[in-house]
Amino acid sequence: MTRRPGIFLTAYFWIVIAYLLMPVLIIVPLSFGRQEFMHFPPRSFGLRWYVEYFSSTPWLESTFRSLRIALSSCLLSTFLGCLGSIALERGHMPWRGFLSGMFASPAIVPQIVFALALFIAAVALGMTGEELLLIVAHSVLGLPFTILIISSALRQIDPTLERAARIMGAGPVRGFFAATFPSLTPSIVSAAIFVFFISFDELIVALFVMGDKQTLPVRIWTDLRFELSPVIAPISTLMVAFTVIAMGIAEFLRRKAVQQKSQMGKS
Amino acid sequence: MSRSLSTRALVLPGLAFLLVVFVVPVLFMLKVSFTGETAAGDYFSRFFGSGAYFSVLITTLRVSVVVSFLTLLVGYPISYFIYSRPERQRPVLLFLVLVPMWMSVLVRTYAWMVVLGRQGMVNSLLLDLGITATPLKLMYTTGAVYLVMVQVLLPFMIVACFSGMSEIDHTFVRAARILGASPGYAFRRIFLPLSLDGAVNGFVLVFMLSMGFFIVPALIGGPKDTMMANLIEIQVEQADWGFAAALSVVLLVATIAIMFLIRAASRRFTFSLAEGTRP
Repeated sequence: MTRRPGIFLTAYFWIVIAYLLMPVLIIVPLSFGRQEFMHFPPRSFGLRWYVEYFSSTPWLESTFRSLRIALSSCLLSTFLGCLGSIALERGHMPWRGFLSGMFASPAIVPQIVFALALFIAAVALGMTGEELLLIVAHSVLGLPFTILIISSALRQIDPTLERAARIMGAGPVRGFFAATFPSLTPSIVSAAIFVFFISFDELIVALFVMGDKQTLPVRIWTDLRFELSPVIAPISTLMVAFTVIAMGIAEFLRRKAVQQKSQMGKS
Repeated sequence: MSRSLSTRALVLPGLAFLLVVFVVPVLFMLKVSFTGETAAGDYFSRFFGSGAYFSVLITTLRVSVVVSFLTLLVGYPISYFIYSRPERQRPVLLFLVLVPMWMSVLVRTYAWMVVLGRQGMVNSLLLDLGITATPLKLMYTTGAVYLVMVQVLLPFMIVACFSGMSEIDHTFVRAARILGASPGYAFRRIFLPLSLDGAVNGFVLVFMLSMGFFIVPALIGGPKDTMMANLIEIQVEQADWGFAAALSVVLLVATIAIMFLIRAASRRFTFSLAEGTRP
């Protein structure tokens, strides 16, 4: 579009951005407040609630539980998604559309439906409260995204290079790791970061299947529902900072991978 | 050929995993919902026979449709603004839209509770300025649910509309302009119908996500804003899993059915817009 947007559209854009970013603008100052009750803007500033968070065993326990589960499920989901993407993109798959649809289904079915289904199954198997159960659940929820990100990266990588490596005598595994894997790495890392945060933020499945072994979102949820303690503000601030930095890196890697390939295509 | 076969086999671990962890539990839940019976008959007649339960489905549908329209209305001009900027600026502007999308919904809802509460930001501002004498009731209202849900879902709509717009072949618009169409006419008859694909994708996506919303209605809405996901959670808390399973089936079927309806309706609408049979 060569038409320059009017002043009204520009102003409207920045108003909507302010609306979207409002939570950050509220939470960060709030977390540095010192009073008992939520009041915005805070009347006096300090690190009181940060100290409270870092010295509370239950909060730290849930935080480490969530980190553990997120790390495990992002590794598992990325591994399975990587294998699946190679098969879908390079295996001349029969029923490729159907299989892609299958892998996308956890993103389409409402999470509450999956949470309940898993809960009923877990009760039948006596598996409630097991971290392993939540790890596999979050891996399934991440699978549509790992398949999507890694498949679209594979589609842009020229298979000729790998074929050349095979002709030169490399085995299938060596050929893949020498020729394709290096240009796939940014997308794999980016997929892993996405899944990490799908798991780290996930509430409903954890709420149903984990019982009293609360993850960080479950703890926050319980707190918001019943007492609304000021500790939530620093936790939220740390979560937002952590998420924005990591997702920014993921997005940067994904874009860089796409750019490199389009430049390679041009030369 | 053997190479292709061994490559194909790589799909098996992921597929097996998906079947065991996702497909089998969902199918088992379907079975539970259909075979279970209570004293008052099966679960589905209990749901459709009671006005109280059925009205939760209606609320869920209403909220989802309203939120989808609102995000489209607010988001489409934003996508158009980003699209109309020089190509080098676009990633930065899109980044500003994406950042809020990455933040936990729980955290964003919490921020809104601080803003809208009885002693929240809006109320203390209004009281300090002397605009109202008593705090307004902002929390636990349907309006607040819309406000927060639109904020959470808006980035999805903006990204979907924008990617629809970036696929438009701009020579069509230029051709219309050369043939004498005013900028507004070229926008309405050429650009708008072509950009509608992205808008429909965004609408379907936002609708689908709204139908399963849980955190926002529970924390921001009042009792009359209870949605299907909340009702399911209440049943689980009361250990009535069979009825919860039936509610899940209703939610799933309603979501998928309406998605198909939107797709079918939008195709006819786009067509008539491009034909000019609608002003």
